[in-house]
Amino acid sequence: MTDHRTHMRTAVTPMLERVRTVLGRRSGLLLIAALLLLWEASARSGLVTSENWPPVSVIFLTLIRGLLSDGLVQVIGPTLYRFALGYVLGITAGAIVGFAFALVPFLRRMFEPIIELLRPIPAPALIPPLVLFLGVDDLMKVTIIAVTAFFPVTINTMQGASGVEPTYLAVARTFRTSPTHVVMRIIVPGTLPYVLAGMRISLALALVVTVVSEMIAGASGVGYYLVLMQYAVRSADMYAAIFVIAALGCVLNVVFVAVERRLIFWYAQQP
Amino acid sequence: MRRWLAQLAPGVVVLALLLWGIEEAVNYGLVKRSLMPAPSDIGLVLWDLFADGEVAGPLSETLARLGIGFAIGAALAIVMGLAMGYWPRLYALFEPLVELLRPIPKAALVPPLVLFLGVDNAMKITSVALAVFFPVLINTVQGARGVDPVLINTARTLGVGSFSLLRKVILPASAPFICAGIRLSIALGLILAVISEMIAGTGGIGFLIIDMQRAFRIRQMYAWIVILAVVGYLLNVLLVVAEQRILFWYRTAQRT
Repeated sequence: MTDHRTHMRTAVTPMLERVRTVLGRRSGLLLIAALLLLWEASARSGLVTSENWPPVSVIFLTLIRGLLSDGLVQVIGPTLYRFALGYVLGITAGAIVGFAFALVPFLRRMFEPIIELLRPIPAPALIPPLVLFLGVDDLMKVTIIAVTAFFPVTINTMQGASGVEPTYLAVARTFRTSPTHVVMRIIVPGTLPYVLAGMRISLALALVVTVVSEMIAGASGVGYYLVLMQYAVRSADMYAAIFVIAALGCVLNVVFVAVERRLIFWYAQQP
Repeated sequence: MRRWLAQLAPGVVVLALLLWGIEEAVNYGLVKRSLMPAPSDIGLVLWDLFADGEVAGPLSETLARLGIGFAIGAALAIVMGLAMGYWPRLYALFEPLVELLRPIPKAALVPPLVLFLGVDNAMKITSVALAVFFPVLINTVQGARGVDPVLINTARTLGVGSFSLLRKVILPASAPFICAGIRLSIALGLILAVISEMIAGTGGIGFLIIDMQRAFRIRQMYAWIVILAVVGYLLNVLLVVAEQRILFWYRTAQRT
């Protein structure tokens, strides 16, 4: 669901709160450091002697070497490209369809059952048939990513746009506001928080499906590399790929939150 | 009744037209039968799967993995979420770690899990549990931290201990958030159940879909996708009904 923690009202004063978070972060960061040390020690000391459990320092070295030698960059490139293209296509289509459904109820009645039937299919299950139609390359992957990103945005946009405060619309009618004005000034701002909430759900799902589509079909991207390294029992490279994916997820999330806050700054300030 | 019909009719008509259109397109050779069999053919395969009970094995296998993984992941997340919401120290301790692990697409963890746990149930159940854990945790923490301090202070004044406070005040007050997290996570759990079956091992609906594709038994592939869609749909309905019951109890509890 959406992340409201940042707007949470707390009983303590901001100053105290800041001191507490810095101190708090310290204990949390210490925990992470301790876990990483434990990982390193367990792998080095022979407590866990396994091909599958390389010391974390080796993984970081592999990661840095991979990034410096361009090897990993070439692996990440196609993944990012597919993800970005599929995601943008999916959320654009989702927002348009969602708005259309909210503005024209008859359209909604016509097409909602189809959407409700398709929506619960776990996206990865659609990869095998899509492979038949579109092959194993970019076209198939961008399509499945777009399909994944489509549904949450559609549903949220529809709910948001249908839930616009009727009083605003009535006031607009009283003043004979033009329809474009009504859409731009009332419906779009009223719906934006919902669209963005849908976009955030889509973001996480689309990233999962990007990686999965590369794991299941084709021969490029981080997902493919991950599975390849697993089969090749090069576990340090495998973990390095996971670190890359994790970082990707983290960065995308941070960027999204920053953009969201800018776009709907007025929404976050409401209690 | 007539109103209800007017609401539903356009959707049903469009759906029927779509199915009929695909059927005709396949029959006239506009769409290759090897890519998209006629819906009626898929229907026949579905009928066969159900008639001789062949559906039961893979379906129960996938559902069992999902159910067990979901139960473990959600239970751990609720316990940990309540604790993190209640004790600020615990929150401070675990929050950075959670924020670090949460954005990892859990599908990427399937390959290392295969190395440690093999390709069988242990790996698949763990994958599902991991996928379910984080959305439920985040929402539970959010709910538990947002509980009205007056409720907590009142309970404390009345001498309620930490454990009963968590169970009798914070858990119910966080219920709407927990339910929202659970509804979100069941979709992720199903995705992970299917993916883990596709990537490793044999058995389950995910495996069958990809296996049928590789064997060019396209009608069977589509039939299993339809079954999976129905499973996803029913799970969602089930959760909505369960949530209404739980939150209904929550609302009456608040009113009294």
